[in-house]
Amino acid sequence: MKGFTAAFLIWTLISLNGGCSQAWPTHTACKDGSLEVLYQSCDPLQDFGFSVEQCSKQLKSNLNVRFGIILREDIKQLYLDITLFTKEESILSYSYPICEEDLPKFSFCGRRKGEQIYFAGPVNNPGFEIPQGEYQVLLKLYNENHSTVACANATVICS
Amino acid sequence: MAPLVSGFMLAVLFSASAKVITSSDQMCMEKEANKTYNCENLGLREIPDTLPTTTEFLEFAFNFLPTIQTTTFSRLIYLTFLDLTRCQINWIHEDTFESHHQLNTIVLTGNPLIFMAETSLNGPKSLKHLFLIQTGISDLEFIPMHNLENLESLYLGGNHISSIKLPENFSARNLKVLDFQNNAIHYLSNKDMNALEQATNLSLNFNGNDIKSIETGAFHSKVFQSLNFGGIFDLSIVMKGLQNSTTQSLWLGAYEDTEDQDLTPAMLEGLCELSVESINLQKHHFSDLSSTTFRCFTRLRELDLTAAHLKELPSGIEGMNSLKKLVLSMNNFDQLCQINAASFPSLTDLYIKGNMKKLDLGAGCLEKLQNLRRLDLSHSKIEASECCNLALRNLDHLQYLNLSYNMPIGLQSQAFKECPKLELLDLAFTHLRISAPQTPFQDLHLLQTLNLSHCHVDTSNQHLLEGLPDLRHLNLHGNSFQDGSISKINLLQTVGSLETLILSFCELLSIDQQAFHSLGKMSHIDLSHNNLTGNSIDALSHLKGIYLNLAANSISIIPPHLLPILSQQSTINLSHNPLDCTCSNFYFITWYKENPQKLEGSEETVCANPSSLKGVKLSEVKLSCGITALGIFFLVVFLLLFTILFIFSVKFIFRWKYQHI
Repeated sequence: MKGFTAAFLIWTLISLNGGCSQAWPTHTACKDGSLEVLYQSCDPLQDFGFSVEQCSKQLKSNLNVRFGIILREDIKQLYLDITLFTKEESILSYSYPICEEDLPKFSFCGRRKGEQIYFAGPVNNPGFEIPQGEYQVLLKLYNENHSTVACANATVICS
Repeated sequence: MAPLVSGFMLAVLFSASAKVITSSDQMCMEKEANKTYNCENLGLREIPDTLPTTTEFLEFAFNFLPTIQTTTFSRLIYLTFLDLTRCQINWIHEDTFESHHQLNTIVLTGNPLIFMAETSLNGPKSLKHLFLIQTGISDLEFIPMHNLENLESLYLGGNHISSIKLPENFSARNLKVLDFQNNAIHYLSNKDMNALEQATNLSLNFNGNDIKSIETGAFHSKVFQSLNFGGIFDLSIVMKGLQNSTTQSLWLGAYEDTEDQDLTPAMLEGLCELSVESINLQKHHFSDLSSTTFRCFTRLRELDLTAAHLKELPSGIEGMNSLKKLVLSMNNFDQLCQINAASFPSLTDLYIKGNMKKLDLGAGCLEKLQNLRRLDLSHSKIEASECCNLALRNLDHLQYLNLSYNMPIGLQSQAFKECPKLELLDLAFTHLRISAPQTPFQDLHLLQTLNLSHCHVDTSNQHLLEGLPDLRHLNLHGNSFQDGSISKINLLQTVGSLETLILSFCELLSIDQQAFHSLGKMSHIDLSHNNLTGNSIDALSHLKGIYLNLAANSISIIPPHLLPILSQQSTINLSHNPLDCTCSNFYFITWYKENPQKLEGSEETVCANPSSLKGVKLSEVKLSCGITALGIFFLVVFLLLFTILFIFSVKFIFRWKYQHI
């Protein structure tokens, strides 16, 4: 009986591990004296790479970023949804078109499912100062069919 | 020790069985029975046996097939579409598709191809579309050319191709799309281009190639459907290179992340020497913008200057008489008059969407555009206290007007008198200030579609929709009604020709039985996302064969006398309602199960009550109400027992009586 219980326990542990897909590791997008940005992919299918060139409380406009991913969908149309949380409460929600059929803003617009993308360049953001605190940011990239292209849970720690 | 070992053995056994279960769980998704299957992201190493031989469309991306050969797909001989995106294919061996005569599309995007055999694409009788994007090709000789004479599109983006010279045995006769996006093509020569001579109406894409020169005459007297040189640094190279060519559309836009030179009048000189119908110059900067900048744009029919950092267009541009379509979206105009519309007298389509600044409509800024049919001014932060006759002065022929997503706009009676031929008017998400009893849409005799969603209109104004004899589609999504109800006398009474009516998210609690009485031609009613109960269905009693959306309301019980009203409609959606699954709703549930062909969203049509059936699909509910067979059986048994007991007791009484006589 004891053996059976042990077996059951071990089995539960193993199947839990195999059943749920493992979470992707948390990466550091940038880290400086006052600001740290961490992110984790929330797309169960894949991870992606992201980094920001400069990392300071006083966020510069038109930041340069680097971004690498495999596309699992065509991105003739691509939209970004940003939701900002502090202490589990949503304080800001924002949607922004990146690629549209009548305005492909970036050179990678229109690339197809299966393509590997590496983007290094400016992202046309406004400059602003980040107030002290810890923020949770949920970023979602999706196409015209609402299929996920990328998903990230980010933490911004500003001290 | 022994129990521990046996425990471990058991654990191994269990985990093994768990794995088997997960792999059998990973099934392809059937999108169309026996025809279309999606097996993406399953890590499969072969075609599953479960797929029927009749499969025609197979999405097999993100699996693992290092080698594909004759046997790989041999069972699925009816394939017409095969997507093998990112399957880590290295080798495509001889005669892989030899038995696939009907195959017309093969997608090999993102595979690290090492070698394709000479006969690897033989078999299909008419292979039309081949995707070889990001497959590491550096030389076009890599592609086996034997069976490509029917090819209509060839996608070669994201490779290491530096020369577009196609092999000599390649036939471009049927080719319509040749896509070289994001390669390393720096030079286009006469010889390269001559190989494409057989093709007619070709669309050629060089987007994301850093083209540094084009040999003079390379495009000489050639005809194209479209040419794309997006993201090129120096536009004058293209302008010179395309001399004496003819193309329907020429895409020369820049991007946020690419560098480009400011456009000077001299750079655009080359346009005089080529014949183009439509040109796109999105995201460029113009230096010294003057009327002479457009000197060579005279033959153009369509011009797209989206996000071209424009504050105004110069006045007195000459020779743009034949321009039909002008796109000036995402620019920085302060006033509509700054586009100097008089330069484009033939314009039929004008798009000024998403202006970066608050756009002032001014007075009569477009009055010279007498042929204008379509005008899009959406998302442009337009604010006007009195619209729109002054702003749209003289636009007699306007058929389509989009003013959606703007700031508050005030409308008086006959606000669109200047455009009597309007057929579609979109005002969605623009706050409209209309004071009762104004009739802003009066005399729009041809208007068929009116979108007033989220316009905050005063729905108690019964005259609001007066003067729209031909209105067929009305969207009132997101507006509210007084007391949450549509009464007998309401604003819909003046629009008797209505076919489509959208009243979703209107916070409705009830609809009067007579509310829709004047609407006899309806074919589509959307009442979803309100708080309506079953009784509101009564308002639809005079309608037949309509699509009726009642999703996400507060319907729990639908009384039996309303069921004939539902029966006479063609499609009904009752999902996301707190439906009652007790015997008090017995007739409705019976009706529901008898009419599955009429119902939409049945996966989400579930019981809310009683708690034991919460979340159960209505189609799966089994109700036993009234006397059932079992009940009758018990009743009979009970009566039988009672009779026997009665007889016995009578006997007993008699016996007792006789004994005591």
